[in-house]
Amino acid sequence: MDQETVRTICYLARLEIGQNKSNKIQKDLETIIELIGGLQNIDTSDIEPLYSPLEMTATTHEDVVNSDNKKGKFLENAPASNEDYFLVPRVVE
Amino acid sequence: MSWETVIGLETHVQLSTKTKLFSRASTTFGASPNTNVNLVDCGLPGVLPSVNKEAFYKAIRFGMAINAQINQTSIFDRKNYFYADLPKGYQITQMDLPIVLGGSIEIVSEELVKTINITRAHLEEDAGKSIHDEYDGFSAIDLNRAGTPLLEIVSEPEISSAKEAVAYMKAMHQLVTYLDVSDGNMAQGSLRCDANVSIRKKGYKELGTRTEIKNINSFKFIEKAINFEIKRQIKILEKGEKVVQETRLYDSSKDETRPMRSKEFANDYRYFPEPDLLPVVISDEEIQKIKDEFPELPNEKEIRFQKQFELSAYDAQIIASSKSMADFFEKTAKQTKNYPLLSNWLIGEVSAYLNKELIEINESKLSVENVATLINRIDDQTISGKIAKTIFEEMCINGASPDDIIESQGLKQISDDGAIEEIIDTVIKDNAAQVEAYLQGKDKLFGFFVGQVMKLTQGKANPKAVNTILKEKLKK
Amino acid sequence: MTIQFKSIAELRGMLDEKLISVSELTKETFLLAKKYQELNCFVTMNEEFATKKASTIASGDQTSSLLKGIPLAQKDLFCTEGLRTTCSSKILSDFIPPYTATAVKKLEDAGSITIGKTNMDEFAMGSSNETSFFGNVHNPWKKGYVPGGSSGGSAAAVAAGIVPGATGTDTGGSIRQPAAHCGITGLKPTYGRVSRWGMIAFASSLDQAGPLARTAEDCAILLNLMSGHDEKDTTSLNSEVPNFLTNINQSIDGLKIGIIKEFNLGDLDSEVQAQFEESKKTYEKLGAQFLEVSLPNISASVPTYYSIAPAECSSNLSRFDGVRFGHRAENTDDLNDLYIKSRSEGFGDEVKRRILIGTYALSAGYYDAYYKKAQQVRRLIKNDFDHVFKTVDVLMTPTSPNTAFEFGSKGTQNPVELYLEDLFTISSNLAGLPAISIPHGQVHSLPVGLQLIGNFLKEDRLLNIAHVFQKNTDFHLAQPNLEDFS
Repeated sequence: MDQETVRTICYLARLEIGQNKSNKIQKDLETIIELIGGLQNIDTSDIEPLYSPLEMTATTHEDVVNSDNKKGKFLENAPASNEDYFLVPRVVE
Repeated sequence: MSWETVIGLETHVQLSTKTKLFSRASTTFGASPNTNVNLVDCGLPGVLPSVNKEAFYKAIRFGMAINAQINQTSIFDRKNYFYADLPKGYQITQMDLPIVLGGSIEIVSEELVKTINITRAHLEEDAGKSIHDEYDGFSAIDLNRAGTPLLEIVSEPEISSAKEAVAYMKAMHQLVTYLDVSDGNMAQGSLRCDANVSIRKKGYKELGTRTEIKNINSFKFIEKAINFEIKRQIKILEKGEKVVQETRLYDSSKDETRPMRSKEFANDYRYFPEPDLLPVVISDEEIQKIKDEFPELPNEKEIRFQKQFELSAYDAQIIASSKSMADFFEKTAKQTKNYPLLSNWLIGEVSAYLNKELIEINESKLSVENVATLINRIDDQTISGKIAKTIFEEMCINGASPDDIIESQGLKQISDDGAIEEIIDTVIKDNAAQVEAYLQGKDKLFGFFVGQVMKLTQGKANPKAVNTILKEKLKK
Repeated sequence: MTIQFKSIAELRGMLDEKLISVSELTKETFLLAKKYQELNCFVTMNEEFATKKASTIASGDQTSSLLKGIPLAQKDLFCTEGLRTTCSSKILSDFIPPYTATAVKKLEDAGSITIGKTNMDEFAMGSSNETSFFGNVHNPWKKGYVPGGSSGGSAAAVAAGIVPGATGTDTGGSIRQPAAHCGITGLKPTYGRVSRWGMIAFASSLDQAGPLARTAEDCAILLNLMSGHDEKDTTSLNSEVPNFLTNINQSIDGLKIGIIKEFNLGDLDSEVQAQFEESKKTYEKLGAQFLEVSLPNISASVPTYYSIAPAECSSNLSRFDGVRFGHRAENTDDLNDLYIKSRSEGFGDEVKRRILIGTYALSAGYYDAYYKKAQQVRRLIKNDFDHVFKTVDVLMTPTSPNTAFEFGSKGTQNPVELYLEDLFTISSNLAGLPAISIPHGQVHSLPVGLQLIGNFLKEDRLLNIAHVFQKNTDFHLAQPNLEDFS
């Protein structure tokens, strides 16, 4: 794992690592990748991935509205909002 | 150099379910900002999605209508990216196992029928809305739309002009409204598309570099945006330069496309199966039920209208071409007996008005009751066809009832023979010279006398009665 | 009359016999919490609301609910309406949820009283409670030693006798390992047994809520109320929930216990090993039989886990973006800058490390090699369990390879060192199986735990086997000397 890869995944995850920590993080990531890389030695040909321990199918909800309007509480929790909206720095599309 | 255009469309259809794809909040359009939002839609910590099966039924109906393969087991995946109106930081969509696979749709462009193959159609949740221009320095986020079910329909790159793209979208609109899969309201964003456009030398197999024009939501803009993009790309290629693969935005005020700034970084969406949702399985019984309850499609309706209402093949085809128009016709036909007059009006005046306003009949102020009354008043000779047009104009503006308009403006037709005779006598008396000329063989003057009668009655005289009595009087 | 170190069953008796009122019990509980504040078990106290609720419950109130008036602590990743919920993270340090997690709601509806929210590893990522934004929790048995993690605050609060029970969550051992290190009993139920609604997600396909208490019997009481299908969590099981107390006293004569060959116990601290042998003898005396079984892929559990859990976490933690709730950085240039700064300021190092690993494991070109591969190995591990449960009723392992360790002594140079703490506990999360940790003695004056892993939905059997052990031993009655903390 090189510095460039670390920068790319940091950007994808919207995280930044301070200069002083970047070498340590890179080394940590390498160690962890090495750990999980050990899986390559296991033969998994024709094995279906197990994405959930429950091998069942989903239950579904009825198409009937059942919802409280919590607008006030939601906006109150937001770091920046006005009476109607959540606010973020202006985005230029 | 001769160029060829290759277009593929990704159509986003908002499904007309009552609740969202993964929550039980309402999907009603136009609610006050952030009120159709529950804990799930807000993406709060600790919340979990649950699936709305009605969205699956609608998607399957669409799949059946285009003769596609239906995947009775389908799974959801997460598409990871950050955006202000995407509350969870990922969109729940279908990647590997979409509900609908393959199929095709027929389009008619410039009188040619063409089949466009569909790659796939999958269910996913819509994002919220960002309002960029109303608050100084801020974008405002409204999550009402977040989680609304979308069916994303991906076409093969088999569309070769802007006109064909429009025809494709029109066919799509007709289909989804007919199937009651969507209200198809483009102005409200219920039907919108992304267009992938590329240019290659005629006769070449290999595709050129494509650009993607995002979020086009009207037939007019689809044509304009694609035509602009075709010209732009040809200009680049003719200069010997290369088209840059990018996402572009159509700016209707300037009639041009420009690169989207917010998508400048190549994204890696890191799709993986949504661990909060188990696979959704549709049973054979459910499939059968959908088949049994399949709605009537345009060509079936056309044939029925010819039989049931004795419409001409031409009229039936035009009326059945739009679901909302066909529904409107059928409801109105329950309140009036004169079907040919009704269909004439719908195809003529009503369609002309709707086309001018670029709206569907259910988005206009015209109600079934009022149009039926209007037809009935013409039919029972309370008003003339000409007066009816004046009344119709007013109905379009304020939705008023024809009877009220007739009453308040005194537009009732004069059908009383005595009253008409009196007026005709006056006209004959006042225009002795013209009467003379007419009697000497200037037949064309008949229209002049009719005109004079109408002028004196402000158009309210029953034209039939006027004709008969006038002919009678002028013989003498 | 002291309430410290009393079990739920004991407190129930005291309340029913009117030896104490609910209000007095609540008051005493807060006094204990304050007295041992230095343990740092709690992030937020719920004194005002708890006191009010207590006053509405009359003592001796005849009720079918065993939990009426019983004080409990909730791990701080369960959302609690109106009560701050932080996940021990800076990014949620001011977050007040507008709703309550189903598991907590069920306990509260049964009349229990939430005393406060317990400290934990940030977003449950850790095995020592050292990644909390609110500081380390001390092990009640030894100051300066970790309580284990991630449910470290819950385990310490129960071990110190402040509350008789607490909720925890277990993604790779986060209930069982701190229960072991603190000398109490902790149960991770079958995946799907308890609703995850309102539990702030770490790794969705592994997370499961469960109880920590002084005894297996108390765990059964708590699990009875926490379990059940929840329409808001469509991964919660629709299966019938048995009364976990019904068969708890059943004889274990003829029980077949499997010992996993691949866990080479010879490598462990000799005293940990000796303790394990001792417990085997106890069970043999009670009529159990031991069989060596093989789970050929179980050694791959740790790498499998450290591919899947970070991948899911990297996506689950995307919602912490400073837009709708939580910490938002100041002075940001644009939306992207806001995301990057808010998240970088809000998350601690271990959380960042796991998000980055997960992002990497899911990224184009690596997905098949890491994420998908791990899910395939996960199936192999599950198949191994399915296979051995044809011959044995339960599996038995130490809960942790060692006892609690000193603050800062592990994982600072190499994070993987700490990941290996979870060696024995992780596989049951991957397979979704229930597992329990019970105290079975001490090594160097620190508690050690014994783990029993059961087959799918067999919590009742696990609780029975644990309870029978506790009826015949007194390790679970040991109490730490808390002088250093008061």
